[in-house]
Amino acid sequence: MTTEQLGSVGEAGSEPVVVNLGPQHPSTHGVFRLKVTLDGEIVQDADMLIGYLHRSMEKLAEERTYTQNIPFTDRIDYLAAMSNNLAYCLAAEKLMDIEVPPRGQAIRVLFAELQRIASHAMANGTFINDCGAWHTPLFHMFRDRERVLDLFEMTCGARLTTNYMRIGGVAFDLPPELLPALRDFLDDLPQRIQEYEDLLLENEILHARSRGIGVVSADSAINASLSGPVLRATGVPWDLRKADPYCGYDQLDFEIPIGENGDCFDRFLVRMGEVKQSLRILNQIVDNIPGGPWLADLPLHVRPPEGEAYARVESPRGELGFYLVSDGGPAPYRFHCRPPSLINLTNLREMTVGGTLADAIVTLGSIDIVVGEIDR
Amino acid sequence: MTASYPATEAATIVRRNAPQAVVAEGDTLEVRAEYVATAAQALRDDERSDLVFLANLTAIDRRDHFEMVYHLQSLDRNQILTLRARLDDRDAPSLPSLVHVFKGAHLQEREVFDLFGIRFEGHPDLRRMFLWEGFPGYPLRKDFLRMPGPVTAGLPGFPHEAGGNAWPVPGSVPERPRHPNDPGAAGAPEASAPDGAPEENSDDANGSDDSAEGETE
Repeated sequence: MTTEQLGSVGEAGSEPVVVNLGPQHPSTHGVFRLKVTLDGEIVQDADMLIGYLHRSMEKLAEERTYTQNIPFTDRIDYLAAMSNNLAYCLAAEKLMDIEVPPRGQAIRVLFAELQRIASHAMANGTFINDCGAWHTPLFHMFRDRERVLDLFEMTCGARLTTNYMRIGGVAFDLPPELLPALRDFLDDLPQRIQEYEDLLLENEILHARSRGIGVVSADSAINASLSGPVLRATGVPWDLRKADPYCGYDQLDFEIPIGENGDCFDRFLVRMGEVKQSLRILNQIVDNIPGGPWLADLPLHVRPPEGEAYARVESPRGELGFYLVSDGGPAPYRFHCRPPSLINLTNLREMTVGGTLADAIVTLGSIDIVVGEIDR
Repeated sequence: MTASYPATEAATIVRRNAPQAVVAEGDTLEVRAEYVATAAQALRDDERSDLVFLANLTAIDRRDHFEMVYHLQSLDRNQILTLRARLDDRDAPSLPSLVHVFKGAHLQEREVFDLFGIRFEGHPDLRRMFLWEGFPGYPLRKDFLRMPGPVTAGLPGFPHEAGGNAWPVPGSVPERPRHPNDPGAAGAPEASAPDGAPEENSDDANGSDDSAEGETE
């Protein structure tokens, strides 16, 4: 084609093109379809079409006992199974007014924070991947995630869908080889974090790709119910571990990392900061795990009294809540999961319209969605 | 700890904007469905309540009516309030949308519309979300895909309980043809041990049979 012909195409004007990102696309991190309308490189409209992974867990859970529902929660957010187990068990315990023994609580905090490190390693790695550093930082961060998953495997036999927490505590005690392996990991992690910071924080390409992209203001984030690192990147210090402490988080010393501008880079920084705070929490509890039972003395089949309970935890993605309604039967009358991944997408259109398509992909990567949790 | 915001205080704030709105105030605040957006806006804008964050929104099918549940959170005061509304019309349930008060209701209301069939008046983009347009029925309703006979949705009892979870309920599923050797079928050989007898007893019975045979030899 000659240059004259190319010129004539431009003079004739352009018309919007609809491009489907997904359902199978590397940038969407799962079976997620983003329909964008493009004028050249500029996004004019973005609409998400979801449901490819809908398994109707809320309906299935109504026909299974409270204990049988715990494995479902693993599959809701398969990158943070421990956090999901924990949130569901907290809701069931609130419904039945059960107290968890101190050892059970410490083990829960330990695994929730390990899960946060593993999940943020995945989130930051894929985010850098979306920025164009093809897989190298991702696999660097996967080294840490692998070691966390090894610790999970050591304890409960599973790496991804752990099914470890139980109503009233955790399923098994810590194996004797866990604590030495955990200490090794905690000793190595600061050096690894330093390595990532040296590699990434001053990286000009990362700054160019993520600063000022996908900006959300604090007021808009609160009004749109955004939570987790997406909310904290706008400068709102809202963390349920501080605001509504559970499992003894109020006795631990840690800070809430916040951002300033609410852009993709700040979300990345908040996640890096949270990994450091998780490390701090783990160092506090690893030598102070109390003895005693790890599971409250409960029958396997529980029948909660009539009532309802909404319990939430700060999952790696934000406010993860479970709302359970009991009619006195052996199964929940209503089982609802408040999915942070889905609700954090509320502002997706505002964050992407007007920018380029490449920026839209970076924005989507910085929200850190898990499609299992969006669709359930 | 997040304190729960007293429903009586919330009720006075709501009453100032809409005198007839409040239905009940106890642990939670129940308002008339048509006033739910007005009530949410009053609670969001009043400085004393400051409920600026819609934490959770969902519906419950109570078999004869629907119930909407909203969890509203104040970030500065760290208080949470549960707001409810009752929808009696099962055939065409609808109530005002909260999107113009809390944008966070956008996707959550779409989810409730998709799975419960509750319409939200004034929602800018009310489409099905997980299921496709034209999907028959609303899966989270209790009468979705109703089973034949007296079986209802949910789990009536634990499997080991006597009569607790007799599924299928006798008579609800047609009797299947049975093999002649199937114990209990008409013309089947006599069962060796009665149903439900503990295993130890049958072992003992076998043992005594053996000894009896030995004696005859």
